[in-house]
Amino acid sequence: MSFVTAYGVAAALPMENPTADFSDTPWWVALIKAVGVFVYLLISTLLVIWFERRVIGRMQQRPGPNRNGPFGLLQTLADGMKSMLKEDITPANAEKFIYTLAPLIAATMAFVSFAIIPLGGTVSMFGHETPLQVTDVPIAVLLVLAVASVGVYGIILAGWSSGSTYPLLGGLRSTAQVISYEIAMGLSLVAIFLYSGSMSTSAIVSAQSSLWYILPAFFSFAVYVITMVGETNRLPFDLAEGEGELTGGFHTEYSSMRFAMFFLGEYVNMFTVSALATTLFLGGPQAPPLISAINDNMFGGGWWGLLWFTLKLWVFMFIFVWLRGSLPRVRYDQFMRFGWKFLIPITLAWVVAVAFIRGAQLGFLGDSKLTFAGRELSVATVVIVSIVAVIALAAAWIWDDKRAAKAAAEDEAPPEEIDPFEGGYPVPPLPGQRLAEPGPRISATREPVLSTASTTSATSTFAKEEDHG
Amino acid sequence: MTAVAPLALPAAFQPSNVDYLAILPLLIVFGAALVGVLVEAFAPRERRHVIQVGLAVVGLLGAAVAIIPAAGHQGVTMGLADGSTNRQMFALAVDGPALFMQGTIVLMGVLGILTMAERFGGTGPDAFTPSGASTPGSANETAAARAGALTSEVFPLTMFAIFGMMLFPTTNDLIGMFVALEVLSLPLYILSGLARRRRLLSQEASLKYFLLGAFSSAFFLFGTALLYGYAGSVYFGDLSRAIASGPLAMNGLLLPGAFLVFVGLLFKVGAVPFHAWTPDVYQGAPTPVTGFMAACTKAAAFGAILRLAYVGLDTGRWEWTNALVLVALLTMVVGAVLSVTQTDMKRLLAYSSIAHAGFILVGVLAFDRKAIGAVLFYLVAYGFATIAAFAIVSLVRQNGAEATHLSQWAGLGKRYPVVAGAFAFLMLAFAGIPLTSGFVSKFAVFSAAVGTGGATGTVLAVVGVVCSAITVFVYARVIVLMFFSDAPDDAVEVVTPSVSTTFSIAIGTLVTLALGVLPSALLDLADRASQFVR
Amino acid sequence: MNSYVPILFMLGLGFAFAALSVFTSLVVGPKRYNRAKLEAYECGIQPTPHAAGGGRVPIKYYLTAMLFIIFDIESIFLYPFAVAFNKLGLFALVEMVLFILTVFIAYAYVWRRGGLEWD
Repeated sequence: MSFVTAYGVAAALPMENPTADFSDTPWWVALIKAVGVFVYLLISTLLVIWFERRVIGRMQQRPGPNRNGPFGLLQTLADGMKSMLKEDITPANAEKFIYTLAPLIAATMAFVSFAIIPLGGTVSMFGHETPLQVTDVPIAVLLVLAVASVGVYGIILAGWSSGSTYPLLGGLRSTAQVISYEIAMGLSLVAIFLYSGSMSTSAIVSAQSSLWYILPAFFSFAVYVITMVGETNRLPFDLAEGEGELTGGFHTEYSSMRFAMFFLGEYVNMFTVSALATTLFLGGPQAPPLISAINDNMFGGGWWGLLWFTLKLWVFMFIFVWLRGSLPRVRYDQFMRFGWKFLIPITLAWVVAVAFIRGAQLGFLGDSKLTFAGRELSVATVVIVSIVAVIALAAAWIWDDKRAAKAAAEDEAPPEEIDPFEGGYPVPPLPGQRLAEPGPRISATREPVLSTASTTSATSTFAKEEDHG
Repeated sequence: MTAVAPLALPAAFQPSNVDYLAILPLLIVFGAALVGVLVEAFAPRERRHVIQVGLAVVGLLGAAVAIIPAAGHQGVTMGLADGSTNRQMFALAVDGPALFMQGTIVLMGVLGILTMAERFGGTGPDAFTPSGASTPGSANETAAARAGALTSEVFPLTMFAIFGMMLFPTTNDLIGMFVALEVLSLPLYILSGLARRRRLLSQEASLKYFLLGAFSSAFFLFGTALLYGYAGSVYFGDLSRAIASGPLAMNGLLLPGAFLVFVGLLFKVGAVPFHAWTPDVYQGAPTPVTGFMAACTKAAAFGAILRLAYVGLDTGRWEWTNALVLVALLTMVVGAVLSVTQTDMKRLLAYSSIAHAGFILVGVLAFDRKAIGAVLFYLVAYGFATIAAFAIVSLVRQNGAEATHLSQWAGLGKRYPVVAGAFAFLMLAFAGIPLTSGFVSKFAVFSAAVGTGGATGTVLAVVGVVCSAITVFVYARVIVLMFFSDAPDDAVEVVTPSVSTTFSIAIGTLVTLALGVLPSALLDLADRASQFVR
Repeated sequence: MNSYVPILFMLGLGFAFAALSVFTSLVVGPKRYNRAKLEAYECGIQPTPHAAGGGRVPIKYYLTAMLFIIFDIESIFLYPFAVAFNKLGLFALVEMVLFILTVFIAYAYVWRRGGLEWD
């Protein structure tokens, strides 16, 4: 099925507002649903910590936790109880109030976003027909981003209020990291809004009934998955904690339940970003394509949706764990360079490309059609898609060329003789290299430094003109 | 309740009507500024200066030429007309006063750019520090200078400021006016802090200007909110109609709103009591920037004041005129009296500019078509003279630094008669002596005030004449100092400027002379351009 | 019922759970005073003083914050455009490309001038 024709149909019925019908949902049903989602999240968190430790254990060829309960399932609960019984230390230098507030913000904000995630179809609950979703608003996705931004306050305030150096640095790093990747994340979502014409999660899900957005917006999906790892401070992007450098980062000074709240917040945040990815790219609670074809979609809708949603969610959780099991932490400057110099410009270009493709589909760029293999395609769409493809190919070719040139340059054999003090710091020789005699070379490199220090005529006039009124 | 029905959303999206020929001058200047940013990013350092100056001058001259076709496309643009409620929602009003101000700002901008481009044989613009972000006197700064850093960003910044200034008198609603206000202000805040010499004074000026400017912007915004609460619309046409038909009960919103919006604008022209920044900023900013700022900001802000007073709030004139009359009186008196006590040339010119702002306000308060023409003429005459005067100030040096103390100027006329003569002539123009543009402009403004301003107009004109007489004393003292006293031992020197500064001084002086001798052509043009569209 | 109210339910549940947990551990947990425990964490040396109160933060972070605001505003302008795109037509497409280009000029300037370097 061509997504071009599929989206021609969807475009005819733009739905800005939620498609889920909440008219038969009294407030107490909404409250029950909220409690349900809350419990769902808590149980998922307990499970995923166990899951993570077991899977990583397997990846590292060891069993992982297996003592408490069947398969060690109760390990997380035991850990939680233990941390509750530990002493809660507030360092003498800390800003007491904010120090306590920060973990509360981090934990609270993690839960809020889940209110707008559709977990299933319409079900009957205590005699009321209601969607399996706490609520939906016209700006639902924006709400997720906003809540995530407030959640960052938990981290920065924790780092600042601890009154200690490592947490401060960790908090700063984390903030810079999260806001840097938030831009790319926000831009990648623009493509979804262009296709769906809505920011409401239920409308986005129902717009995916014929095709999940992971296909037409594949690049947005890739960017989103990368940035969601960066947003949640998970490996390989866990620079805010960076045990080797910052001894734990922003939560260095925290102990007992206040520490556990950061831990909880981090894992719930993983669920939130994964749930958003499921909703925006994988059709949310819709049944997968082959299953939806069985008996007129008998396994779609209603409570079945919860099953499909949970399965999709856990695919992302497995990816998180898999990444942690296989990748080392990136260096901070590389991380920032990747975000600012690669993700942002390329996502912007992608948004422009999608806008043009979408404009062509909607007929803004001309109405002429051509018939190809029995299918009607709009000329403008074909032209735009080919232009985008050509530009992408050219860019990839140039990039590959550059990389090949760089690799060739690196393959050149290192010089046979090196001066260990050339850059000012002692450098050990590579295998097969001889050390040059250091004595005379040091003075030779130092000399020009001294001569520039004794200034040229231009700088001396410059200094003279100074008159600091 | 609101006087204007709230806007019903149209069923289908209508793109706004844009007359691209009418806004072509704006687009050219903005485009040149953007290209300037790209030049900063990609051009090699040693060629940046030449490219930037060329680009800015070509862009400004192109915009000046583009005003001619734009004059054939006058009217409101960039917006929608709502047929059902007969409302005009247009963001820009390209009319006579707007185009006249745009032309004035663009041409004075050329002179300003040429003065800023002065290098005195160095690699970068002489008036600007090579590294504005470094602490004054720090090793960083020396290292930047040694590495050959130069601040050619000043030209794109100036172009952005000019864009904002051109937009300022052209906007037809309060939001647009606020955007223009910010676009013109932000580059000026930066430019003020970039002086090469006396860095601390310059940074202090920049910070003061920024803080007070931010305050006045906040006043403007608050006033906008109140006026929106009164009229239910930010468009000047709606505002005027709402006041004409509005209930008196809502005056609690109208009066403070109008007053606060005027505060924001009067701050930009440096009217008393919103003048406190003027002397400090004029003194601390790089001298070419001071000249540019004094001439062009004043023109732009008075263009905006004219539109607000004659189009937006005209129907409620009786409510706010008295406050403005008081401001005009204070501005003239304080500017004239305090300029007597100044010992620094740049501060003296700053107080003189305050006094001039008062004189121009007298013209604004005459509420007549002839008065609009007089104000427009005054802004041209004052602007050209000011740019030339500050350009001359930037040439008078002692040990490489500008010698701005009055005592240092003693005997200048004996040693450099041409430069001192030009400066003396400009001083006479500021004083309003016949055969200079200053006389014609003051005559036009005061006669308009007497003719149509009624009793208050007459009072204002009389006070204006008295204050002019006081300032004559100030300027005469400078002339006497230059020509009739002996030079001190460590006498200052006048450095030889390059073609660009010479050009702008010459043009400024010649325009001052030409407008004094043969003012009728420009007076006619200003008079023909004095019709606002609504 | 307003559709935003259930979001407040979630907020309340989350906050109640977090506050209760922290409070419980304060009550249940042991308290053994030891002055060394209240010191800022450091590997046996005196911690750098005033990290929180009067400490200065590298200028890079401010720069990142300002760049973030620029791009965040850009994406916020892109959202309504994207949502309403099917009603806006070619005019909006052209306008949005112009807008992105304008921001991109600033981006190119910052990149070339080393504003995105981090070391």
